[in-house]
Amino acid sequence: MRKIIHVDMDAFYASVEQRDDPQLRGRPVVVAWRGQRSVVCAASYEARRYGIRSAMPAVRAERLCPDAVFVAPDFNRYRAVSRAVREIMLRHTDLVEPLSLDEAYLDVTDNKTGLPTATRVAKAIREQIRTELSLTASAGVAPNKFLAKIASDWNKPDGLFVIRPEEVDAFMPTLPVTRLPGVGKVTGERLAAIGVATCGDLQRVPLAELEQRFGRYGARLHQLSQGIDHSTVKPDRPTQSVSAEDTFREDLPLSQLAPHIEALADKAWAASRKTARIGRTVVLKLKTADFRILTRSHTPPTPPDTLAAFRDIALNLRERVELDPETRYRLVGVGLGNFTDPGHPDAVAEPQSELRF
Amino acid sequence: MKIQVGRNELLSALQSVIGVVERRQTLPVLGNFLLDVADDVLTVTGTDLEMELIGRARVQNLAPGRTTVPARKLFDICRGLPEGAELTLEAAADKVTVRSGKSRFTLSSLRADEFPSMGAAAGGVAVTLKRAELKLLLERTQFAMAQQDVRYYLNGLLIDVSPKRLRAVATDGHRLAFSELVRDIGVTESMQAILPRKSIIELSRLLDNTDEEVSLVIAPGQAMVDIDSVKLTTKTIDGRFPDYERVIPENGDKRVTADRETLRRALARTAILSNEKFRGVRLLLDEGVLKLQTHNPEHEEAEEEIEVSYSGAAMEIGFNVNYLLDALGVMAAQEVALELKNAESSGLLHEAGDASSKYVIMPMRL
Repeated sequence: MRKIIHVDMDAFYASVEQRDDPQLRGRPVVVAWRGQRSVVCAASYEARRYGIRSAMPAVRAERLCPDAVFVAPDFNRYRAVSRAVREIMLRHTDLVEPLSLDEAYLDVTDNKTGLPTATRVAKAIREQIRTELSLTASAGVAPNKFLAKIASDWNKPDGLFVIRPEEVDAFMPTLPVTRLPGVGKVTGERLAAIGVATCGDLQRVPLAELEQRFGRYGARLHQLSQGIDHSTVKPDRPTQSVSAEDTFREDLPLSQLAPHIEALADKAWAASRKTARIGRTVVLKLKTADFRILTRSHTPPTPPDTLAAFRDIALNLRERVELDPETRYRLVGVGLGNFTDPGHPDAVAEPQSELRF
Repeated sequence: MKIQVGRNELLSALQSVIGVVERRQTLPVLGNFLLDVADDVLTVTGTDLEMELIGRARVQNLAPGRTTVPARKLFDICRGLPEGAELTLEAAADKVTVRSGKSRFTLSSLRADEFPSMGAAAGGVAVTLKRAELKLLLERTQFAMAQQDVRYYLNGLLIDVSPKRLRAVATDGHRLAFSELVRDIGVTESMQAILPRKSIIELSRLLDNTDEEVSLVIAPGQAMVDIDSVKLTTKTIDGRFPDYERVIPENGDKRVTADRETLRRALARTAILSNEKFRGVRLLLDEGVLKLQTHNPEHEEAEEEIEVSYSGAAMEIGFNVNYLLDALGVMAAQEVALELKNAESSGLLHEAGDASSKYVIMPMRL
């Protein structure tokens, strides 16, 4: 039996801002660029009380709480703090898998400090983050990754929740299926359509039926519903790609995808800012109504360095889709891939300069 | 449909149209020519849905009608027949039979009414000029068009019409080629259109260097060129071409003039040892002298020195040698002028004493 901890920093960017600027403490803080099209990167808990959430358009956040303090994100600072958090984790185990700047999985089955239980390790990590960095983190302890992640969310913020192996069977039945990894709006609706709302409902659906309805993902759903997850903690994998995709309520023609592509580009771009690595290839992914998947990609001579440049390339990739204009699509995705470390020769700007139109 | 036609007459019509037919099509009928016989004229139409070419041949009309035939096959058959041969083409049901002497070919045909037509857009601006004039404008600029760039509006050539002048502009974002014809071309309004790359390549292939007329109509969404025996219709690229006038530098205070051919040959030689990927060449200017240097990752080096007319301060600048060679290759004058400002700003290349064609080239950090 493995012992996994999921550590999730509370309102990370906003908390860093509040920590570093005492005037922001206790006030609704929204980390976002100013602008018509920008989205919220993070919101402090004070701001969340007004209904402000991450990834919401900044203009909407402003409408929800006109008194909120808007702060432009400073990812260099967040990255530095994230490294400090990582160092604390690494004192306890080498098996740390960062998901982003503010989240990580730890496998503490064998931990370096000799603490007897995973719960004690999680407490120690939270305590060290609090005293050394003046920030709070929530942690979940469970026998696998997916339950650990659910657990860290259970008592957020500044909470700890433990799911012991013997408690899994009792914990699962009431858990809403929407909490399972991979179950988003669409799968959630498809499950609801067959009367499945909780993992208990899901456990009662025969595996064969799930496989028939959801293909390979059906088997995974079946396991997840019983709290089974065999995925391992992969230490410190460098970012290879980031992407965001969206399945539509109804299939759309290419001509109507622009607003979706823009919104997804915003999301993918925000995610790409969480790593110091530089993405060089822009990818547009489409799935047709009859489930054909096509991808179009472009690697500009110099990596896209602004959201606007990234968004334009993603939009322009539509031109490379040569299917019948009548073709309808059920899904669109926008991604950035081919990441390299800064300083790598490929990441260095091409010597040829561009005309400045 | 049944016709009798001379091989050479038919081949020249097919030749002028075959370029639009792609080797792989999205629709089977796009691999075919539409043949249409009326009076004593056979019209041959090829299309890729973006561009349509219509050629004509004088024939003996034995039975009027319309049909389609596999384009490349008919073209290859016609080309393979001996010069001066006579052919008959006869359509029956879903076959077309070609006979010539003791040869006989039966080709499968697709319905003529399935053949897509571009139709003619209404309105627009019409310009009439000499074929040699249009050909020159295209030759002087088309090499700078982008190729499969995501900035799709760069994958073509801008035709910019104003009263008293016609301009052609192409750019791939690193260099820009500009050429203009200044004279009264008989229009009263201004109009711009971006013609797709493929149509420009076909058009310059179809134009000859004569004083015969060619008419160019630029309409919303479409451009049409009529070269007497051939008609080209193309969709235009729906996008905004960059403001090219902004990037044509004006205040280059360092002005070099050089013998065009001497410079071109020296660059071509140094290019051999430039970096294969970046193609950089270093230009070192000093009074009366231009030094060219290249080196590559294998540590090979080339250096050339040529006499130029230059009296400004010494300076150094890097360029993609191909961009310089492309521009020098299409100029005609004995002498060329290169205007520079500093190592970070674009260079302007043109024929000495004639700025009707201008080449803007961004430098390269070396």
